[in-house]
Amino acid sequence: MSEAGAQDYIITIDRVTKSYPGGIEAVRDFTARVRRREVVVIMGPSGSGKSTLLRCLNGLERPDSGAIVVDGVPLDEDRAHRNEIRQEVGMVFQQFNLFPHMTVLDNINLAQMRVRRKTREEATERSLALLRTVGIVEKASAYPAQLSGGQQQRVAIARALAMAPKVMLFDEPTSALDPEMINEVLDVMRDLARGGMTMVVVTHEMGFAREVADRVIFMDGGQIVETGTPAEIFEHPKQERTRRFLSQIL
Amino acid sequence: MSAVAGAWRFVRRRLFRSPLRDVLEYVLLLVVVFVLVSISSQRLGYYWQWYRVPRYLFTLQQGRPVAGELIQGLLYTFRIAAVSLVLSLVFAFCTALLRLSQSLMGTALARVYLEVIRNTPLVVQIYLLYFVIGPILGLGRFASAVVALSLFEGSYMSEILRAGIVSLHRGQWEAAHSLGLSTLDTYRDVILPQAVRRILPPLTGEVVSLVKNTSLVSLVALNDLSMQARVVSADTFLTFEIWFTTALIYLAILVPMSLLVRWIEHRVAIPS
Repeated sequence: MSEAGAQDYIITIDRVTKSYPGGIEAVRDFTARVRRREVVVIMGPSGSGKSTLLRCLNGLERPDSGAIVVDGVPLDEDRAHRNEIRQEVGMVFQQFNLFPHMTVLDNINLAQMRVRRKTREEATERSLALLRTVGIVEKASAYPAQLSGGQQQRVAIARALAMAPKVMLFDEPTSALDPEMINEVLDVMRDLARGGMTMVVVTHEMGFAREVADRVIFMDGGQIVETGTPAEIFEHPKQERTRRFLSQIL
Repeated sequence: MSAVAGAWRFVRRRLFRSPLRDVLEYVLLLVVVFVLVSISSQRLGYYWQWYRVPRYLFTLQQGRPVAGELIQGLLYTFRIAAVSLVLSLVFAFCTALLRLSQSLMGTALARVYLEVIRNTPLVVQIYLLYFVIGPILGLGRFASAVVALSLFEGSYMSEILRAGIVSLHRGQWEAAHSLGLSTLDTYRDVILPQAVRRILPPLTGEVVSLVKNTSLVSLVALNDLSMQARVVSADTFLTFEIWFTTALIYLAILVPMSLLVRWIEHRVAIPS
């Protein structure tokens, strides 16, 4: 790791702190780096700051202090920087957040046309290809409310991928799903990881983490408790806090 | 074709749910109204002369219908209402965005506007604009009336619009931002299309009250429907007939309009 230059890290998070009104510190003095093509899974009890950290990475939350650099671009007060980063970082939400008044196809076309300035034909071509990848091309003209949760989340992934992001962030992508739909979403994410996508995933899916993650970060109280390969974290956790958490979710 | 058929089905469902019962209720209501009106006009010793009313609606000149005073007034009311509607939507839109903006000045400006307009009577506003502000800015009779109406309705509409925007889940904003959409694109493609669908019913109410409030411009001697009704009834002493007719004209305009909006609402509903 020491021979890796700064260029190899697509995300650097340096001493980031974020607190909410009322003084609760969601993320405390957090430092971490993510390499290109790396899949990082963040775990931890609820309220440990996982989601806040993730949301800081594409500017949905503004850190109180510390620095975040994504692919050489600092995430700071400069709006141009923030927009540039948002175009390179895709995000998938727990609640899908599809646009309910648009068809599936229009959901995926929108940013391509508005941000990438593609024509409708160019955008549609890519959108249909993405829908084929996530396995629901037949729902292109359906509206989100007509789809199951699993299907909606797959559309949301396709929508984020439409911008050809360099990094994908997943904020508990399967937590709002019925159990029988979790795998169809995890399968899409597995394929994405195998394809070399850099991913930061907040999830409690141990199976997924074990299989796909290069590294697991265990967080509590807004800080890293322990980090390592899935094997290290799941088989030989060093910290008592990690052990307790794992025993609860197993 | 299918739109027309759909509209007809919609109207039929609304109006004729159970025909016999509705007809009976309607007849009963007419009887009651008729009895009440005849009792009260007898007490007043009122002499009904409905036959004199039609000429104030239409007259035939050389075989072609020519609008009488009341219809002319109605057309003028339409003009005021149409211009005011456009202008009040502009005010509403700008004010709602200002109130939701990060700018301290912007929100302060919007709040002052809302508080002042909503806590003073429309009549006072019309007079102030016509007698004080109008001459300063060089606004004519029509312009100052329209501006007064638009400022008034715009303030109510802006609060409706703001509520519609605020009621959307913040995930919609976050999803749009995470895709790199600008604030302008987010409003145009994501937020407003959903907010407008939600606020159609209360917004229709405001449009109806805008049309009704145009009757107050007769205070500054604009020849709208109410002004014409006042003139005609003063000239002819057909007080009951003219004011009943005037009320019916307003009703005949506004009821179909409300139905139309309800039908639009039904057409743009998001499939689920």
